[in-house]
Amino acid sequence: MLLLAVLAACLLPLCLASSDSDYAKLKQLAAAGNGLIKLDEHSYNILTAPNRNWSATVQFTALDNKRRCTPCRDFDPSFNTVAKAWSTVPAPERDSHFFGTLDFDNGMATFQKLGIQSAPIVRIFPATDGPRRPASGVTTPISYDLTYGYEPGPLAEQLSKYTPVPIPYKAPFDWGRVGTFAAAALVLVTTLRFISPVLRSRWTWAIGTVLTCLVMTSGHMFVRIRGMPMSGPNGQWIAPGFQNQFGQEVQVVAMMYGLLALAFFMLTTVIPYQTSPQRQRVQVYLWSFVIFIMFSVLVSCFRVKNRGYPFRLFL
Amino acid sequence: MAVAYSLPSDVSPATVTNTRSLLRIIALALISGAAIASRLFAVINFESIIHEFDPWFNYRATRVLASEGFYEFWNWFDPTAWYPLGRVVGGTIYPGLMATSGVIYNVLHALHLPVDIRNICVLLAPGFSALTAWSTYMFTKEMKDESAGLLAAAFIGIVPGYISRSVAGSYDNEAIAIFLLMFTFFCWIKALKTGSALFGTLAALFYFYMVAAWGGYAFITNMIPLHSLALILMGRYSSRLYVAYSSWYAIGTLASMQVPFVGFQPVRTSEHMAALGVFGLLQIVAFAELVRTHVSSKQFQSLLYASVIGMGILGAGAIIGLTYKGWIAPWTGRFYSLWDTGYAKIHIPIIASVSEHQPTAWPSFFMDLHSLVFLFPAGVVMCFRQLRDEHVFVIIYAVVASYFAGVMVRLMLTLTPVVCVAAAIAFSSLLDTYIEPTEPDVADDSSGKIAETAPAVDAASSGSSTAVSASSSTAKKTKKAPTAPPSVSAVAAAMTPSKKGEKPRGIFGLDTRFIVLLNAVGMLLFFVLHCTWVTSTAYSSPSVVLASQNPDGSQHIIDDFREAYYWLRQNTPENSVVMSWWDYGYQIAGMADRATLVDNNTWNNTHIATVGKAMSSSEEVAYPILRKHDVDYVLIIFGGLLGYSGDDINKFLWMVRIAQGVWPDEIQEPNYFTPKGEYKVDDMASPTMKNSLMYKMSYYRFPELFGTSQAIDRVRGQQIPKAGTTLDYLDEAFTSENWIVRIYQVKKEDILGRDLKSANAFAQGKKRKRTKPPVRRKATV
Repeated sequence: MLLLAVLAACLLPLCLASSDSDYAKLKQLAAAGNGLIKLDEHSYNILTAPNRNWSATVQFTALDNKRRCTPCRDFDPSFNTVAKAWSTVPAPERDSHFFGTLDFDNGMATFQKLGIQSAPIVRIFPATDGPRRPASGVTTPISYDLTYGYEPGPLAEQLSKYTPVPIPYKAPFDWGRVGTFAAAALVLVTTLRFISPVLRSRWTWAIGTVLTCLVMTSGHMFVRIRGMPMSGPNGQWIAPGFQNQFGQEVQVVAMMYGLLALAFFMLTTVIPYQTSPQRQRVQVYLWSFVIFIMFSVLVSCFRVKNRGYPFRLFL
Repeated sequence: MAVAYSLPSDVSPATVTNTRSLLRIIALALISGAAIASRLFAVINFESIIHEFDPWFNYRATRVLASEGFYEFWNWFDPTAWYPLGRVVGGTIYPGLMATSGVIYNVLHALHLPVDIRNICVLLAPGFSALTAWSTYMFTKEMKDESAGLLAAAFIGIVPGYISRSVAGSYDNEAIAIFLLMFTFFCWIKALKTGSALFGTLAALFYFYMVAAWGGYAFITNMIPLHSLALILMGRYSSRLYVAYSSWYAIGTLASMQVPFVGFQPVRTSEHMAALGVFGLLQIVAFAELVRTHVSSKQFQSLLYASVIGMGILGAGAIIGLTYKGWIAPWTGRFYSLWDTGYAKIHIPIIASVSEHQPTAWPSFFMDLHSLVFLFPAGVVMCFRQLRDEHVFVIIYAVVASYFAGVMVRLMLTLTPVVCVAAAIAFSSLLDTYIEPTEPDVADDSSGKIAETAPAVDAASSGSSTAVSASSSTAKKTKKAPTAPPSVSAVAAAMTPSKKGEKPRGIFGLDTRFIVLLNAVGMLLFFVLHCTWVTSTAYSSPSVVLASQNPDGSQHIIDDFREAYYWLRQNTPENSVVMSWWDYGYQIAGMADRATLVDNNTWNNTHIATVGKAMSSSEEVAYPILRKHDVDYVLIIFGGLLGYSGDDINKFLWMVRIAQGVWPDEIQEPNYFTPKGEYKVDDMASPTMKNSLMYKMSYYRFPELFGTSQAIDRVRGQQIPKAGTTLDYLDEAFTSENWIVRIYQVKKEDILGRDLKSANAFAQGKKRKRTKPPVRRKATV
């Protein structure tokens, strides 16, 4: 990596020539871009010049729609917010660390040189010269670990380790959320008279409880915590593997569980109230059939997930 | 009234009652037998051996307790764990499990039954599962009736969700904790129903036992207050609730503080504040109720209400204030990570790294609960139909536990009991409805005779003797239905809480009964088959001994772990120190009897991170760490030859992450990935990865095994570079038969004062000048 960076820099003797004017240019670019430099090949090479006495954080991304990089577009606003937060720092500190974004379409050659195959990537280039050169002497770029998430909070926190002063990022006060909350509370209070029978009805709570149980036992939390997509890349909706699932599976499995539970509920508590023998018989057979079929479907779904499962019903 | 089939009418009521209780006892005995027997697969397939990791420590502690007595055990300081820090064992464990086996051991020996302590430990979990079945029966009996209770007992006896943590040999806290959990809940429900201080005290005593046995006691600590709070909010405050809760809380809290590991936590930590808060609220409400009964003035009452609410808010504010001031410790990370699910990964990687702390995908639910998983919501709805105080408990339990089970695989264990209870309620209601012989009248509403003999009906064969007759009482008086679309009115009738004599209900005909019961019995049979299969194949492996199949189908035992541990025990000095990742700490202490740096009691993150750093840095960096900690041997698990996926290379990233948490400048996770962001061990692996001690130890001399052909790591399916790795600071000491365990000896400093690398280079250069090119890598760092 270092080798490549050095090589890249050596190919362009231009940037070695006048470090001072480069530095001025970077400052100017950063000021113009609201703390963020929109990089191209040339300015990237200036920014990551081998004898820099500044440090830099560079986001490698592909924002163009035709690149179809959804994570890039998700991550970009966070990076920009952090860069903007950095621009509020007093000038001496601010100008010793730069934020830059290199889009794939502006820097294809650089992407190739660095061998970057996926985006977004954030790299921190420590200063190689001057007072801010790391004590350990390690000046190879450091990759930011995107497993911290795409949120600006952890990004600012992690990047602050490499900036001269911590990035003064504060999560913006979420007016929208507070407003929604307040509005909901207001609506609730004003309509309390009318909805209180609904709220006091046990069946409202029953529906809520049963839905919670169904969704939870269908792996909803797995999908949320792991950030699983709704369905697979080529339209498959069952994720392979026993300890794995897609978002769509939650819906399908919860629906099957719900239907089966409903069938049992109907058989036990609703059908006995049916006063016509003929009608009742039809319903009993119908719901028994539903149980049988849905259970078979469920077991066959489970067989897909667990290949070694030896049992099967009619499917 | 018509009957679908006739019952013998010449049986006296006394005979019916006696037969019923006899059948019940037989059924319970059979369920206990089935519960114990199905947990013995592990012993039959393998042997009577302690399983997995934590049980090995429990076993070791129990052996100390059995051989040296309780006081020695209580004051036991273990200098070999967490070397060089040591561990005060008595004050850092939940002693309930060891004390239980110790008592059993002493009782049996007093009776002159010389049973080995190991067998007691191995068979403790199956034994307690029978007790769990019984306590679940008692609990469900309070919810519905005996027949539902028997079904619930049968379910929990064999359901894989509970078996997974209680097979023979799985000598862990959960083995006895689920019994205690269910029995405490039973006592609580009983206390609440009867307003009896006796049962409240019993609940407190079993709560104390639970506190002494399992860290999961916090679940009870929060469930009971939650239930009480819900009852108060529903306007169901009663003096029964007051007596039950006050006796449980006062005695239970004082008792729980006697456990040294818990100490003053019940009044100092946020986990316990809900219980304290509800206790305070209950006193206020009780006082208000008392005043209300004595005062009639309307104004005074409204004033009272205002003051009650005010005091409640004040109390809550006080608790929050104390938390901010630091008098009450905020939630611990483990607890907090249940709510904020991203918390653990960022802040406490050591918790996130444990596989049983991962979220649960749906196949796990189905595997562990099978058909109960969809009977469970139906049962919850039936609880809503009646909604007595105890049903509120099941409902809250269902919601809370299903959330927790979704967040952590391990908490499936707390969900399983409530699933069994709710499913049993649903299933037994179904059986009640369709076994009941009376048919409702179609036209006229003449009040017919009720089949008093209904209880004689049973299906004891399936362990579910169904003594009916909640339904017969509702069918007692029949009134003409109002004219409404029949199906709509049926749903409406089902929804309205059952009042006596509202509408006729019942099933017409025999064929309808037959088809539903056939379906139900078929489902039960399938459930039993499923449970047996899951238990025998998935949950009975000791993980100390692995099994595979020979081509002819016979079982092949892979015993590398014990082979290596016994090698350590027999070939190394008794005071030598073994470094391994923390997973194997308890096993090394238990089987090899050697000092370890870190073990499964992950109390000191820095110490673990030190081991992580040693494993993930290069030899030159790791060597001083090893020497400073007096490490003589390094033990790693390597599955590449056999395809054993739970090996250290797969756990390696967690070592890196944990080390990074403490030394972010020296260890960085992205350095262990290829530029493309892949985790590779082949040619493409990053230099940091290739130079890490773990990588070198894992693949040291591995390619030689394959001769001229390409070496392949079977776990990761990648080709290992032929050149192989070199080790300068460690010597290979032992590699087990299938290469699963590899032990390396740490070299002492060179006697000539050279660094070991150049000493090695010198020695090698002299020996093999011609066969090998000169040393490829010079000491450059």
